[in-house]
Amino acid sequence: MRTLKTSEAAALLNVSPNTLRAWERRFGYPKPQRSAGRHRLYTHGEVAALRDALQQGLSISSAVSRAREALSTDTHTLVGALGGFELDRADSAMESALALRSVERAVEEVLLPSLDELGERFGTDSAPWAFAARWADGWLRRAQRLSPPPVRRLAILVGDATRSELDPDALAVRAFELFCGRSGARVMALPVAGVSGLSDVVTSFAPDAVVIAGSHLPDDDVALWAYRVRATAGPLPLALFRSSHQSAPVRTTGTRILSAEPFGALRQVLASIDERQSSEVAPLPVSQPEHDRREARR
Amino acid sequence: MRRLHALRPVEIDERGLELVSFCGHCGQRPDPLIASPSSRVCGHCALGLVLEAGAELAPRPEEPFLIVDTSLSICAMSVAAEALFAIDETDAVNQHIAEFLVPADANAPSAENLLALLVDVAAGCGEPCTTVVRPRQEFGVRFSARIGPCGSPRAALLVLA
Repeated sequence: MRTLKTSEAAALLNVSPNTLRAWERRFGYPKPQRSAGRHRLYTHGEVAALRDALQQGLSISSAVSRAREALSTDTHTLVGALGGFELDRADSAMESALALRSVERAVEEVLLPSLDELGERFGTDSAPWAFAARWADGWLRRAQRLSPPPVRRLAILVGDATRSELDPDALAVRAFELFCGRSGARVMALPVAGVSGLSDVVTSFAPDAVVIAGSHLPDDDVALWAYRVRATAGPLPLALFRSSHQSAPVRTTGTRILSAEPFGALRQVLASIDERQSSEVAPLPVSQPEHDRREARR
Repeated sequence: MRRLHALRPVEIDERGLELVSFCGHCGQRPDPLIASPSSRVCGHCALGLVLEAGAELAPRPEEPFLIVDTSLSICAMSVAAEALFAIDETDAVNQHIAEFLVPADANAPSAENLLALLVDVAAGCGEPCTTVVRPRQEFGVRFSARIGPCGSPRAALLVLA
């Protein structure tokens, strides 16, 4: 995917960088990603679609609407391909989506909405849904295998509480795992239903955060799994993703409810790890007289 | 010499009427000193595209105006019209004109006349004219509306006065 800096995108649209930022605030388009140095990076496809739409437009709002429509054709194509059981065409639709977007946005803007549409159209207990969900699961796993190796010293443990790959939440969980891997973190998904030998795995993996994802399993199973993890790894940040308690307004247990969007959820998890690491202040050294007093008390 | 310096080229439409440029959002005339000659984006507000209309039809900056295409969908809405209808242009775009304005001319037989007029103008076959309209579901408020072609691309401009 080709990306443009603000000045390059502005030059392509024949406007100033300030105008481009004003459009982002007012219209939410073009929507840049951020580089490692927090600079805006625009996808070439979005900017080119807007440039073409501006040439034929009567207002910037209508041009933005037209550019968005042009980009949404990938979703229609993917829905059509999966609805017609054409795997090659579905792969091509994702290739086209990736030409215009990052992997994260291609998944969130094309793959997941297409599957949502198919689920609504056919029902999530239907054969067309099973066909589409298995294809999407395979695509996400393939993308995860192709992700660059971990570069951060971060490990995220995912407790998978979904039913199977046909669970409507399972694809979002796979997407979350993919995004964790692409962010440079190590990620491991374990089924919440299995607690046997869990402490050995947790000790070896040494997670920095735990995410329980999905809502298929009963609360008791989830609580048992979380208890076992915390008993081994200590008081780690625990978060719920796509849980049935997603709408619970307040949690007094310190458990965080994550955004239902995989990329938003990842950002929240990374932020909570950063918060925890920055709040972990090294204990002050104890003076010798104080040390002696403590020893005497014992 | 001073008189010659004041001369400026005037664009005219196919009927020989003078055309003026204006921003489809703020309604300002483009300033050649700040506008890039090859950019259609308004140099004043950066939120509208520069369009052209007949000098008598073109809106003044404070006048609310709407631009509709042949499908009678809103394509642009001025900042004054946003305040008048209490809606952002981004939300108004692609909505039908009848969601915002209906005829208020007692002599007009039906709403279709306004819509037919707008379709004709947007298609390039109608003549500029003036009519009376009111905001939908508002009573006791009437606006005189100048309607005529603008572009490009070709569309109907409806200026409320």
